[in-house]
Amino acid sequence: MLGLLKAMKVTMSTMTRKPVTVQYPDEHKDLPKRSRGFPTLLWDFDIDEPFCTGCQVCARYCPTSCMSVTMQDNPKFKEGDSKRRKIVDRFYIDYARCMQCNICVEVCNFEAIVMNNTWAGREVSRFDRRDLVFDLEDLLKPSTTGRLPDPFKAPMGIAHHGWAAETHGETGEKATAEAE
Amino acid sequence: MIADNPWLDALIRLLAAVALMTFSSLTLIYLERKFIGRIQMRLGPMRVGPYGTLQSIADAIKLVSKEDLRPHTADRWVFELAPYVVFIPSFLTFVSLPFTADWFVRNFELGLFYILAVSGVSVVGVVMAGWGSDNRYALLGGVRAAAQLISYEVPLILAMLGAVMIAESMDLIDIVNGQGRVPYIVWQPLGFLIFFIAALAELYRNPFDIPVAETEVVGGPFIEYSGIRWGMFFLAEYTTLLILSVLASLVFLGGWNWPLGNEAGIGLQLVWIVLKTSFMIMLFFWARATFPRLRIDQLMSFSWQVLLPLSFLQIVINGLVKVYNWPDIVLLLSSGGATALALYFIYASVQRMQEPYPQRFTTVMTRKEPVG
Amino acid sequence: MPFETDHELETIDLNINVGPQHPATHGVFRMILQIDGEVVRDVDPVIGYMHRGDEKLSENCDYRQAIGYQDRTDYLAQFNNELVYCLAVEKLGGYQVPERAEYIRVILSEMNRIASHFMFMGAFGTDIGVFATPFMYTFRERERIQDFFEEVTGERMMYNYFRPGGIGWDVPTNFEERIRGLLVHVREGIADIDNLLTDNEVFVARTRGIGAISPQDAIDWGLSGPMLRATGVPFDLRKAEPYSIYDRFEFDVPVGENGDVYDRYTVRLEELRQSARVVEQALDQMPKDGPIIASGIPRIIRLPAGEVYQRCENPRGEYGIYLISKGSEKPYRLKIRSPCFSNLSALRAMAVGHYVADAVIILGSIDIVLCEVDR
Repeated sequence: MLGLLKAMKVTMSTMTRKPVTVQYPDEHKDLPKRSRGFPTLLWDFDIDEPFCTGCQVCARYCPTSCMSVTMQDNPKFKEGDSKRRKIVDRFYIDYARCMQCNICVEVCNFEAIVMNNTWAGREVSRFDRRDLVFDLEDLLKPSTTGRLPDPFKAPMGIAHHGWAAETHGETGEKATAEAE
Repeated sequence: MIADNPWLDALIRLLAAVALMTFSSLTLIYLERKFIGRIQMRLGPMRVGPYGTLQSIADAIKLVSKEDLRPHTADRWVFELAPYVVFIPSFLTFVSLPFTADWFVRNFELGLFYILAVSGVSVVGVVMAGWGSDNRYALLGGVRAAAQLISYEVPLILAMLGAVMIAESMDLIDIVNGQGRVPYIVWQPLGFLIFFIAALAELYRNPFDIPVAETEVVGGPFIEYSGIRWGMFFLAEYTTLLILSVLASLVFLGGWNWPLGNEAGIGLQLVWIVLKTSFMIMLFFWARATFPRLRIDQLMSFSWQVLLPLSFLQIVINGLVKVYNWPDIVLLLSSGGATALALYFIYASVQRMQEPYPQRFTTVMTRKEPVG
Repeated sequence: MPFETDHELETIDLNINVGPQHPATHGVFRMILQIDGEVVRDVDPVIGYMHRGDEKLSENCDYRQAIGYQDRTDYLAQFNNELVYCLAVEKLGGYQVPERAEYIRVILSEMNRIASHFMFMGAFGTDIGVFATPFMYTFRERERIQDFFEEVTGERMMYNYFRPGGIGWDVPTNFEERIRGLLVHVREGIADIDNLLTDNEVFVARTRGIGAISPQDAIDWGLSGPMLRATGVPFDLRKAEPYSIYDRFEFDVPVGENGDVYDRYTVRLEELRQSARVVEQALDQMPKDGPIIASGIPRIIRLPAGEVYQRCENPRGEYGIYLISKGSEKPYRLKIRSPCFSNLSALRAMAVGHYVADAVIILGSIDIVLCEVDR
């Protein structure tokens, strides 16, 4: 009998506590900066072109082979605006296959690809799974519209120091310079 | 008499009963979801309407507009009739349930008898649902429901009988008026306890939700029902919850009386009955959110070996007090003592269960032929 | 005149099919129960609905890519799985893991054990029939732990954080106070669930003496983890053959008496407290600074030819990885020893003769993760 009373006491005490749930679609909890949504590409605002050179290292390391990349000669390199000899031509990521393992971010030599750490990188639902294949324009959209603050990249803490800090203030995360 | 014509009068009263039944069920569903949500530190329904108050109405609309499916192999008439057989008894009990001294559809001299008799019919509907669905889970659930409802009907009625003996009437208004300032729960704690436990079982609420056990028989007899037929089972369940709560507050908690006098006006009467009924309903909700489920054999042995002897004990005490005209305090002491004793025995039996259990040696059985 | 026959009325057993879509099967597990009334006469478990070829997938990846697949076997104890895999690779490659990385790995693994056991408590409470209350209590705390894991690794479920030779990237600066704050909540959650279930008479009546198995039978069936310890065998790999740095911590190995469902529950409840103890000790001892990954680990790891078996104490039992390398960048063979698979194999021996409702809670007490059984 005592156990039953004890159980009833617990349930009554939790009733007086504050509920822990939130109304999700109305109320988004803050995502940590390291949050790994789906991978997305970064835009170099200085030169007005993507960081990605289309070197395909991410596509080769991807365990699920969800990416396909092609490269082209950079037209801006000829004009002398850019130091990048090659630039990405087409880039497809099948979000339906991506398992958000972060390997593409780790292997990227140009810090061109990051995991989207905003809710836009989490809430990717479509009625047709074919719509989950994102092309270059879609992949650059979070970055070009400035909705991607402080993209995280280990081990430096954030990808491209100062890239997002100008528009989005203090980044905060301590950067550890412990390279592989 | 509300209207001059007796037929019109009856129609108005019945419509009021239907409206009350629907409205109270929808409200109870909402309240239960909110209450259990808060116990579990959730918010409960919040989407539809302010604080989700219109959630039940949205659910009702959904249920009505949903396709009414019937399994191809189901026994058509049994399957389709079952919801009505469950629903109508709970509606009929509304007829003779007095909410205040003046508010009722029709008060009978044998009102309590009528309510208990009519509400016992619903078990037929549950068994029909279980049988007619042609589903093994439903069959299992239906048989479980039959066993459980019949076993717990007996202590429920005997507990009521104790109160009837003290009140010397089966008219619910007489019972309430007979209680005066001191409700019967003071004189009959054992009876109230038995009634509460049996009512939990009648309502398939934890710890007695065995017929509809979600993790065992997945909804039991109601597994194949959809749309409005399923909704009718649901409506009947919550109406029964309301009826049993009102009944408990009438018979054991003093109805519309209150400890400082029973000369209340209609407004105060309504306040008291609503408060007492809400208290009972809250107890049912609370039990649902707290207790695990018993097993079917434990359930049956608890009914026949614990509750039934205890309810007889209560009746014997009442009879002795009535025959020898002992003062009421004897009733209180004996019934209270019996309650304490009963609780102790339940406690001790569980303590025995907690002692080391002899090792059950498992043996590998040899398979004769593949199953299924 | 009564109906008379010269032979007894013949009855046949009823087969009911529990699963693969059933609330009590914790995933896609199917068991065909042969029941006589309410008594289970035979259980025929059917597995394989979740088979994704995890071992073969891992063999087609290099050693770093395969970490992501280790998360996906036992999706409730991802850090523990990653730890087993990384330890196996380190053992074969002979890598020396830095102190700090070891501590972070142990802390995260133990936190993961807490989260996993919380999941068990909640699901088991629902199996036994409480209307989702223990589920919500434990999920409340599990959610906090997962939020914390998200802050560290970026993911809520599939962390992909440990690496052969260390960890992927450093933990946030507020790691320590964050965990200490979390442990307060965890203890509160343990107390809630303890008060709600442990002494609850209905709970005790349902679980005591159900699905009991003797120590010898448990060893014969190859049970491990809480299932084995509930029978009274104090076998915990963290004590029996300490891997990583588990020999530095002081903790108890809770054992049961009867090997029944109730003991499995109490053993897990006590393990929650012991894991919290280990985490606290590890936090005290953890070096504040230092490298997090062994130096000289190439981007593409090529292990020397050889084979290794590494086993660890996962929340569900002994999780082992048998790895054969032929010197290339991919494992030649990767075999997973799944604790749930062995534990599940004893289901029939435990459940036959009990009631249907008991079969459900016996299945629940095994704490199966079907992704791990089917791999």
